[in-house]
Amino acid sequence: MTTFPFHRVAVFIISLFIATGWYSLAIAQTTGGPTVTNATTTLAIKVAPGEILPVSVKLSNFGGGSRVDVLVQYDILNSSGTVIYTSNETVAVETTNSFIKSIQIPSGTKEGDYSEKTSLIYQGQLTPATTQFSFKVEPKILGVFRSDFYLYGGLTLIGGILLVLLGHNLFGRRKIGRFAPLDYSNAPPDQRVFYELISDTILGMRQKVGDKALIIAEHIDGLVIDKHTGRVLQLTISPAKVVAELVAGYEKSLGKKVSFSFRNSIKENEIKE
Amino acid sequence: MEQTVALKKKKILIVEDEAAVKNILRDTLEKSNFSVIEAGNGQTGVALALSDHPDLILLDILMPVMNGMAALKKIRQDPWGKRIPVIILTNISATDEQLVKGMVEERPEYYLIKSDWKMQDIIKKIKKILNIDKIN
Repeated sequence: MTTFPFHRVAVFIISLFIATGWYSLAIAQTTGGPTVTNATTTLAIKVAPGEILPVSVKLSNFGGGSRVDVLVQYDILNSSGTVIYTSNETVAVETTNSFIKSIQIPSGTKEGDYSEKTSLIYQGQLTPATTQFSFKVEPKILGVFRSDFYLYGGLTLIGGILLVLLGHNLFGRRKIGRFAPLDYSNAPPDQRVFYELISDTILGMRQKVGDKALIIAEHIDGLVIDKHTGRVLQLTISPAKVVAELVAGYEKSLGKKVSFSFRNSIKENEIKE
Repeated sequence: MEQTVALKKKKILIVEDEAAVKNILRDTLEKSNFSVIEAGNGQTGVALALSDHPDLILLDILMPVMNGMAALKKIRQDPWGKRIPVIILTNISATDEQLVKGMVEERPEYYLIKSDWKMQDIIKKIKKILNIDKIN
């Protein structure tokens, strides 16, 4: 079903587009003294072995509206110019014809630079009409191109490390703030050791069980604390009894026994006295 | 002279009536380069403490003949004993007012519930008290 004559009137413009829209090029051939323009742009197109390379092809016939059967040949060449894939198809073009050609890159294709070359052959053709574009073949890791995987993986890792460091820093400061021993230098001298003992016990238990430790301490008879910090504000009954009740409260409510440590500074002061 | 003092093994007195616990404490302390002396009750513990002048005492509370708090009170009455660091190792919770009073008066370095502490943590505390972290 070939239409004649074309040697004088057929003028084709081929436009190829990668489906992503990153790339376009065009060649034109005229019969009256063939001129071929080839607008090629450097591409950052990548495809993995075994995947589809979609090529958008647009054929425009400026030859007067007559239908033309055009043989479109697709070749993929490696960096040394060897054809590793070829296929062709016949396309009828009256004015324009657009379609997407899916080219499957052979699964065993080695990583590297390749080019896709599209050629038109039709009756009455004066000069070959070809166009080509470059692309890269690169394997994927977990569905991501290897270079991207390393790039984004590295960035993600760095970001993660920064977040962990930041979080650790913030949490550490918060923790230090919450669990740093409180100063009782203004407490009644004869009760200071009890204030410290109770305060350290509450903070120690708070580290283990959280704010439950504060709630339990709030309900100990004779013990007045700051509800937010656990600071001992006042002891209204025998301090030793308050300590014993606090220990018993923790043991009963939380099932945890209480160990104590005494602050060295107090001990040294008392020894000096 | 200072080097000789620094390298001398620190002496720990274990006052504990349970043989199994005492053995574990002794073995671990000796492996950590401490010299160990032992007593099976508070009375013997006081006598050993005042005669041998250990660098630190590990003291149980519930013991025959003389309990740990009474032993500690006697040790503190001695001029040497006022400064000796003591770690109470017990399974008795301080839920008794008199026990708390005694603890505050006689002031051990630590009052530790045995079941809550690993031996290595106790060793760390001993080293910290005796300021020998850097030596060993």
